[in-house]
This record gives sequence, structure tokens and C-alpha cells, in this order.
Amino acid sequence: MTREELIASLKNIVKPYAQDLEAFNNLSEETDFIKDLKINSANLIDVILDLEDEFDIEIDNDSMEKMLSVKAAMEIIEFKLLDS
Amino acid sequence: MIGNDIIDLSFAKTQSNWQRSGFLEKQFTKDEQQLILASLNPFVLVWKLWSMKEAAYKIYTQQNEKRFFCPIKFECSLISEKEGLVFFQNQFFYTSSIVTDSYILTIANQNKEIKVFSKLVAPKGIDNIIKLKLQDVTRLPSSEIEQKKSKNGAPNYYHKNLLLTRSCSISHHGNYGLFSLLYA
Repeated sequence: MTREELIASLKNIVKPYAQDLEAFNNLSEETDFIKDLKINSANLIDVILDLEDEFDIEIDNDSMEKMLSVKAAMEIIEFKLLDS
Repeated sequence: MIGNDIIDLSFAKTQSNWQRSGFLEKQFTKDEQQLILASLNPFVLVWKLWSMKEAAYKIYTQQNEKRFFCPIKFECSLISEKEGLVFFQNQFFYTSSIVTDSYILTIANQNKEIKVFSKLVAPKGIDNIIKLKLQDVTRLPSSEIEQKKSKNGAPNYYHKNLLLTRSCSISHHGNYGLFSLLYA
């Protein structure tokens, strides 16, 4: 999977939870889930569960802890996919 | 330091599904999950415990520059209907929660002897309401009071370079806004 494909699939996952549409439309690796997209923190759990389903990976607590931005999410997914 | 959290229950109902597979396991300890599942109203307890974790996290972010997302590591226990304790990294946070049919709010405090001023308001214009409150308390004009945020987003209020709030926490969700202040 290329980085562009990964970003596209992440964008699709966060779409229902993003409250700031402008930030969502301009989503990049630097986008912060809470500060920029204004995702409600309880919905961050949904994002994590959706990522687990989509990529068939398990996101443990230590990985979840870092899951605050698109970049961090991409790194975690790439790492877990290599690992599996 | 203080931290707060507000949950609009009508929004919580539509924004999240606490019965979704994995939802409880990801954010609640085994003990908390047992409490929730044994409760007469698990939906309310899910959000009460969540608000305790969030309020405690907001104290942590005022003390530390690092942001992170790990609600499961904030371990909650309930002392009474209203009072609770959150344990995180060798620290205890005292919490006080109010549960109504429409909302749940929690105020977390490091020192339960210290009095906190908190107010539930509409989510819009909360910054102005805080400035007017500080004007009342300090007699400084609200137009000269400014909010400044730390690197990780924790707010405080200043008049020129004078710090007016020793600790400040602001939450909003759905139709509610909540602010809590410890005066400097």
C-alpha cells in the first residue's frame, strides 16, 4: 500500500467523526485528530476500532497512546502491517 | 490544579455506541468494565467514568507538555454517588460528578480542600463569560483580559503579563459548556 492509499483510507475512516470540515478537506500527515479535526475524544476510540477492522491489526495501549495525528496513525499501521 | 469534563447525554447517545465490540475493552480496566456491566444504567456509568478520566487527564496536561491518548490508564473508583478517585502514575485525583437526565459533569481536583469555581453555560461565548467572571473577581476590565494556551492547549487567563488563573479547565459538548477556575 502506498502512503497516498494509506492516507486516503485513513481519511475515509475519520470522515464520520471529523467536526471541522475545512480541516478534514485539507487533511495531511500533519493533521491532528483532536486539535484540527475536532474529533471528540470518545470518538477517537471509534477511529481506533475502525482502523483495527479495516487493516485487520490490533492496536495495543502503547500504540493507542500516540494515536493523535494522521502521521502517528500511519506509522502505527505501517508498523503493525509489517509485523503481521 | 483542576480539570473538568461535560457530557451532553443526548449527543453521547447518537455520537457513540458504547455496546460496540471492543469499545469498553479499549478504554476501561477490567474492574471498571465489571462495574459498568453490573450497573442498572450502564450507559450512564460509561459516560460518568469517561468524564472522570477526561477531567483527570486535563489536570495532567496542565502539569506536563506531553499529550497522549490512553483512557484505560486512568483508573477510576467510586467513593459515593458523587465522589470518585482517579489513579494515574502514582497520583490521585479527587473527582466530583453530577449526573442528570441531560448531562454528566465531573470536576477533578488534586487537592479536595481547595474550592473551585465552576459554571455550566451555553457552549458559545464561554470565553467571554469567563472574562466577565474574572472582571468581577479582580476588578480588572474584561476587555483587557486575555486567554493564552500552553503548547498542549491548556488555557489560562492573563491581564497583561499577570496570571489571573492558577488553573483553568474548559469543556464543551453538544448543548453545554463548562468552565472551572482556580484563582491565582
